Amino acid sequence: MSKRMNGWTLAAALSAFLSGPSLAADALAKDLTSTIALLGLPCGQVVSAQRLKDNDYIATCSDKNRYRVFVNPEGRVVATKQ
Amino acid sequence: MLRRLEQPFSPVIRIAGLLILSLAAAGCAGMDRAPQAEPTRIEAKQDRAPAPEPEPQQPEAKPEQPVAAKPVQVASKPDAPAVVQPAPKPDAPAVVQPVPPPAAAPAPPSAAPNNQVAAKPEAPAAKPAAKAAASPAPKKEVAAPPAPKPAAPTLDLAALEKRLKETSAIGVFTKLTLKNQVDALLDQFRGFYQGRIKTTLTQLRQPYDQLLMKVLSLLQDSDPPLAREITQSREAIWGILSDPDKFKNL
Repeated sequence: MSKRMNGWTLAAALSAFLSGPSLAADALAKDLTSTIALLGLPCGQVVSAQRLKDNDYIATCSDKNRYRVFVNPEGRVVATKQ
Repeated sequence: MLRRLEQPFSPVIRIAGLLILSLAAAGCAGMDRAPQAEPTRIEAKQDRAPAPEPEPQQPEAKPEQPVAAKPVQVASKPDAPAVVQPAPKPDAPAVVQPVPPPAAAPAPPSAAPNNQVAAKPEAPAAKPAAKAAASPAPKKEVAAPPAPKPAAPTLDLAALEKRLKETSAIGVFTKLTLKNQVDALLDQFRGFYQGRIKTTLTQLRQPYDQLLMKVLSLLQDSDPPLAREITQSREAIWGILSDPDKFKNL
């Protein structure tokens, strides 16, 4: 019985550990999608994001467009096409 | 010859004489009571005189009808009832006519075509009614302004700003982007009030609406209560932006 409980606990911990990053990635993709849309750039949906540094990402869109999204020294969000 | 002639016709003559006498007696009796009926007409006319004149045709027509009916009444009943009966007829309409106007006051158009005289009292009666109806109307108007007052409490800019910052429905980049766009819009208003930008409030309303639409589209699925509050505060926020004095205090 105790062995079964330990197995379930391990499985839950693993799923949480593995799904956490994916949830964070989804949230980031959604955030970048909204940002690019707010800036009025064509994108569709962001399918993947590569982190360059803090507040600086390369976003790949579903329509194959790629944008660098970052916060400039003035504190403004900027998206430049790559 | 005369005797012969008188003897056979004597019963006929007697009967004829009796008939003539009876007819003459009946005619004299009718002549005695006919003059009594005439004063009733005069009394009726005198009674009608103080009453509204505009309907003389009805009183004139009525006396003509009683003339034909009177002999029957006179022959059957004593004089007193004959005088009383015609009198109430003219009086009754005189009394009744003023009464209907107040009753018909709520619907003047229907009563107006029937009596012009009755319409005159209706007009003053209708005016107070209209005044009475108009007086509660301002109360309603006064009561209406409290309705927008509840909108004022919904507009708590500081709370809204705080909730926008804390909501998890929008990512960091999106929040920053929105903040930049809000600042840009405020710069436009500032330039407009300072005279640096030649535009109108109507033209500034469009970017304001677009920005709110962006915010709402981001919030409506993930944070509906905040989206609802922003929607309710939409006009209040515009009221601040479009008022130079309020905008300075912003």
